[in-house]
Amino acid sequence: MTTIDAHGNVLSPGAGDTRPYHERYVAAPHFRDREHEFSAVKFGVWLFLSTEVLLFSGMFVGYATLRYLHPEAFRGGAHHLDTHWGLINTIVLLISSYTIASAVRAAQLGRNGALQTYLMITNICALAFILIKFVFEYSHKWHEGLLPGKYYSYPNPSNPSEPLWWGIYWGATGIHATHVAVGIVLITWLWFRARKQHFGPTHYNAVEGVALYWHIVDIVWIFLFPLLYLIH
Amino acid sequence: MASAHHPGPGPHGAHAPPSGAAAASDVLDIYPAGAADSHGHHGHVIIPGTTLVLVLAALLFFTLLTVGASQAEMLMSQAFGIVIPGWVNVLVALSIAAVKTALVVLFFMGLKYDDPINSMVFLFTLGTVAFFMGFIMTDVGNRSTIDRFKGQYIVEGGTGGIKWYNGQDIQGPITEWARTQAANTHAAGGHGGAEVTGHGSTAGHGPHARDGGPERSSPEMSRPVRGVTLPGLKPAEPATDGAHSPDAPGTPGHQHDVPPAPPTAPPTGSMPPGHNTPPAGARPPAGGH
Repeated sequence: MTTIDAHGNVLSPGAGDTRPYHERYVAAPHFRDREHEFSAVKFGVWLFLSTEVLLFSGMFVGYATLRYLHPEAFRGGAHHLDTHWGLINTIVLLISSYTIASAVRAAQLGRNGALQTYLMITNICALAFILIKFVFEYSHKWHEGLLPGKYYSYPNPSNPSEPLWWGIYWGATGIHATHVAVGIVLITWLWFRARKQHFGPTHYNAVEGVALYWHIVDIVWIFLFPLLYLIH
Repeated sequence: MASAHHPGPGPHGAHAPPSGAAAASDVLDIYPAGAADSHGHHGHVIIPGTTLVLVLAALLFFTLLTVGASQAEMLMSQAFGIVIPGWVNVLVALSIAAVKTALVVLFFMGLKYDDPINSMVFLFTLGTVAFFMGFIMTDVGNRSTIDRFKGQYIVEGGTGGIKWYNGQDIQGPITEWARTQAANTHAAGGHGGAEVTGHGSTAGHGPHARDGGPERSSPEMSRPVRGVTLPGLKPAEPATDGAHSPDAPGTPGHQHDVPPAPPTAPPTGSMPPGHNTPPAGARPPAGGH
């Protein structure tokens, strides 16, 4: 049985055409050619990324406002954060950014094995990030009661407004971790598609799109790390 | 859909020289042959592998730099006693983060080699964020700023020491003045000074009208003040006179037109500004109107 994708491309080779998917791929009919579709896909992804930037800018403006109004609460709250884990997480995400950019490059050069490997390493880095965050950072704070707002129950607050700091911390890192989790799902999807030889030098739209998303997630963490962990 | 033309070289132009250790299968320029679409756009720019590695090295370097900068600032304040203002630390950290972001955006995301429309989208977004952050921080940052012009009118307990239009010179907080006025007017047999709503009483037009003169605005006020009653202005007397008790707003003949006032003014004594909790004896006016 032949399966077809939304563009009418045959997913499993039909009678006689044994070329891999990325060679048989036909762009959607409203595009002039595959290049046109690729440019349009990239533009669309950049528009989506701009909405992501604005989403996180809300958290950053909240951070700036509350830090301006409650500087001591932020300084005191930040003492509970371990800079070492933050640094390790930053390095892990930077490496994952490199590996996913290399994955795009591998797809452009038609190296399917390298593509799969780089996607796998990116996923491992992302999972390591989530693991470090939940096991070494979140669980400790959860058990100690360092929670936002009315859920705060730590017995020795440095400042009456410390729950505000924890609101910013959990909110910003929580939304970021959610984005990392979504990224893991997307990269896993790419990996399964790469195994079926869906990507090649003339068709790798999805790899490019997910890679761009992943870089924005990395950029957000590049800003979160100094603002949360390096307050003294 | 991209409408801007690349003015650069054709598909085989030397746009960016290859980096040293290119494998044989690597293309020698970043535009693969024939990759341009019918409008001449090069969507498939292949960034050299060495570029990616160098950018990663730079990113890791800047990460360690930012951690080092914050440690150095702590060290300088603890070991050498040199205190650097907090905003310097934030500025340095954000500058390094901006450089790292630029590296990721230009090289990892390929914006340097990409269609300019994507750069415009990104820069416009950054501009929006700057607008957002700029206006909010300008507002929040200046909340406690008191203009010199208004500053002279800020006196604990309200405007004080300002001549009213009718020449009456008020010293000290206006609430005290109003209270004494109310007490005097009440003692003189008229309605309590607090019920200045124009209900047929002689003193019915507003705070200026207590002495019988017409209500006027003055340069010290932005607009005429009408019938504002603070709960604490009722004279402190035993509640034998039921019609004037604040507990019985629904009593016939007691139709206040008073807007609900915030429970800030205490019945006795003036409280320091910012102290918003009324003492145990005060009751907020019933807002049932």
